[in-house]
Amino acid sequence: MSVPTLGTRDFARTTLRPRHRRTIAAIAEALFSRDAEPLDPAMLDAFVTNIDGFMSPASKTLRTGLILMLELLRFLPIVVVGKLALFEDLPIATRTRMLEKMDRSRLSFFPLVVVAFKTMLTVAYFEDEARLRALGYPGEERKRWLTVTTESA
Amino acid sequence: MSVTRGREIGRPMRAEVDVVIVGSGAGGAVVARELARDGRSVLALEEGGYYTPEEYGKLSPSQSLRRLAREAGLNVAMGIGDTPLISALAGKAVGGSSLLTGGVIFRVPEEILHHWSTELGLGELSSEALDPFFSEVEKAVHAELVPDAMRSRSTELFVEGAEKLGIPMKALRRNTRGCRGASRCTFGCPNRAKMSVDLSYWPDAWAHGARVWSDALVERIDIRAGRAWGVRGRFLDQETGEPRVPFEVSAKIVVVACGALHSPLLLRRSGLEGPHVGRHMTLHPSFRVCALFDERVDGWDGAMQSAYSDAMMDQGITFVSAYNPPSVLAAAFPGVGPPHLRLIERVPHLAVFGGMVHDDGGGQVRRWISREPLLLYKMSDRDRARLFLGIQTLGKMAFAAGATEVLLPLFGSETFKNESELDFLTSNPPSARRVESLSFHPLGSAKMATTQERGVVKPTGETWQVDNLFVADGSVVPTSIGVNSQLTIMTMALKIARGILADYARYAKRAA
Repeated sequence: MSVPTLGTRDFARTTLRPRHRRTIAAIAEALFSRDAEPLDPAMLDAFVTNIDGFMSPASKTLRTGLILMLELLRFLPIVVVGKLALFEDLPIATRTRMLEKMDRSRLSFFPLVVVAFKTMLTVAYFEDEARLRALGYPGEERKRWLTVTTESA
Repeated sequence: MSVTRGREIGRPMRAEVDVVIVGSGAGGAVVARELARDGRSVLALEEGGYYTPEEYGKLSPSQSLRRLAREAGLNVAMGIGDTPLISALAGKAVGGSSLLTGGVIFRVPEEILHHWSTELGLGELSSEALDPFFSEVEKAVHAELVPDAMRSRSTELFVEGAEKLGIPMKALRRNTRGCRGASRCTFGCPNRAKMSVDLSYWPDAWAHGARVWSDALVERIDIRAGRAWGVRGRFLDQETGEPRVPFEVSAKIVVVACGALHSPLLLRRSGLEGPHVGRHMTLHPSFRVCALFDERVDGWDGAMQSAYSDAMMDQGITFVSAYNPPSVLAAAFPGVGPPHLRLIERVPHLAVFGGMVHDDGGGQVRRWISREPLLLYKMSDRDRARLFLGIQTLGKMAFAAGATEVLLPLFGSETFKNESELDFLTSNPPSARRVESLSFHPLGSAKMATTQERGVVKPTGETWQVDNLFVADGSVVPTSIGVNSQLTIMTMALKIARGILADYARYAKRAA
């Protein structure tokens, strides 16, 4: 989604290193892939850049916290799904199953990791105009206020 | 130009004014306008950027969060013990959190004003004393009732369900003019219809000579011999966002108005101590319940917030309608992967309603390793019971209205298919740590009190410890109020500003 031209320039800093970008892309596929099919690599790359832009205005502390969560997630498959592999190297269906298990875990830290990235990624992913239209969202068009305007006239 | 974009400033800046205000949101804007209209030279320093209504109105929700909100909207209060992790939304831009509110206007409930003016001894905050100030702000921000016709179908359904349960709903008041029901107020109104302070207060303040420096991080208040002399800080670098070019402002009066999350930090960093600075913070822990209906709801068409119920206020719960853009709602749906996507596909059939808990002051604002505060919050047993009762009641409303599935704000939960499945919320509640909770109204972290032993500021808004240093934002609100806080903050700021003007000669003499 394009950003309108603004008088106040956005800060140019970035947060994600290449390995973090791979992990974010792997989470995105686990969350949004249908039938465990890989997502389009070019779209995924642009999406990860967008997520980097989402995280980067946050404070150093929060960014560090999110990066630590990502690092931890990479090494958790052995604990959560018993696979000796990095998160991004798992098949998509296994990644999804792993996030599901973490989401339902009684250890409060696991759902926290899922919710943090699911929230950020879902907000950004479903801002895409084509995806919104596919859901039945009409964009800026609204009808109720026209009734009020007509009544008050 | 009344706003100087600090991130474009390449050399150190100095200024000398009558009044310097730290923060440009609901509190700072009101103080700035009042003092500028009286002929005082006023400079407000805002850590966030400056965006015009035309600019922020075009931003998508995630773009809005990263530019207008603290911590890109990812700020949280850490729960202590059996307490939810609470997402705490606060603004960081010229206009502050007023850009990100739903525009809901409530006066402080009578019983709370009575408590303040009698048991807390704050006679200045009685209903009679505040009435003219409330009225004045309501007029300035164009408070108006939301017409029934502007209720979204989402809200109508919950209202129908509430009425079947014998819970009456009322029309909300909001600070709007010509609302078109875009239902995305909390990300910046796209139609200049929400009268946030950049539209209601700042234009008049600017016309009377007030100025704003944006991207200006105040790091310290200059305090010597028990008096405030000004502030110093640094502009944020436009590449890195980190503080770089220094500035210094001398002033007769310093007004801190950077919100309940940051004002106590600045006070502490500047040497104010005491057991109340950064303590007693209330959050109004909020919750929302989503419900799926067979009919198409299209809940985005209508005012984002339009109805409320105070029927359970005696039990500490207020229900307020709310809706969000589909991408934001999708993020809150339960599940991961295909089950989550299946729910997202049904978003046109979704209705949403919210509520909040009138809470104890279990929050703390602490300094730690970055310039953002560490927020801690311990929910009391009473408030936890209120939280689950509120969620359960909204779920019942949804089923009474004909919902086929209810989505509770519980991490890892499935959808619920009938009302009896909600019984566990009060008979055998889960850990509150599983609740997805939000806060939009942090209050009370530098509270007003009649003695230094009981609070941080005097009834005039001046700090007990330092002369000519005032606080005029949500920090000074003495207790939780149980309703949306924008009008309360602006009204208290107006009263504090009028007090400064009434006694200006005395304050100026101290500064001579």
